[in-house]
Amino acid sequence: MKDIKGILLGIGIAAAVLVTLSFYVLNAGNIELEEFFLIGIVIILVVSAMYIIWDRIKNVNKGLPAQDERLKLTNYKACSYGFIASIWSAVGAPLISGILFDHDLEGHYVTAIVVMCGGIAFFISYLYLAWKGD
Amino acid sequence: MKTRMKELRARYDLTQEDLAKKIGVRRETILFIEKGKYNPSLKLAHDIAKALQTTIDNLFIFEDDGR
Repeated sequence: MKDIKGILLGIGIAAAVLVTLSFYVLNAGNIELEEFFLIGIVIILVVSAMYIIWDRIKNVNKGLPAQDERLKLTNYKACSYGFIASIWSAVGAPLISGILFDHDLEGHYVTAIVVMCGGIAFFISYLYLAWKGD
Repeated sequence: MKTRMKELRARYDLTQEDLAKKIGVRRETILFIEKGKYNPSLKLAHDIAKALQTTIDNLFIFEDDGR
């Protein structure tokens, strides 16, 4: 039951993100190149989340648990990598922007970069550890 | 750490999925333990040994890694 609740919650969150994104795209008017890039990353994150949810549904349907001790450990490791990536991106993004492009990043861009870097690092390390083992 | 899980599974004619269902873990976990890519917790090692009607000592072969 707990597994099914988790799966339903995941589907709900992914659907909410997609609905929000589609409202944004429909009302944005002309979408610039950098926005395409950001939208692409959000879609990649949602697709990765859907893959994890699909994997869990597959296991539940076979009568196996959605999560076990190895996957919990994988989750913790991936979370810590995501956290480290977030911290470094918060420090590195304004620095790189300043040094390479001579441009001060605005706060909302830094926040977006931190969220994206953390999310991407989480998903890449999660998928890698889940497939290849520790 | 090496394991005799595959050998014992074959003895009882169990697939990885059968064993996973028996002890309540994902099939991939059994696969990774057999390949030596994941060291199970003591509780999981005990459950596997019980499912394969053996002891932890008999199931896992510990190698001295110099620590």
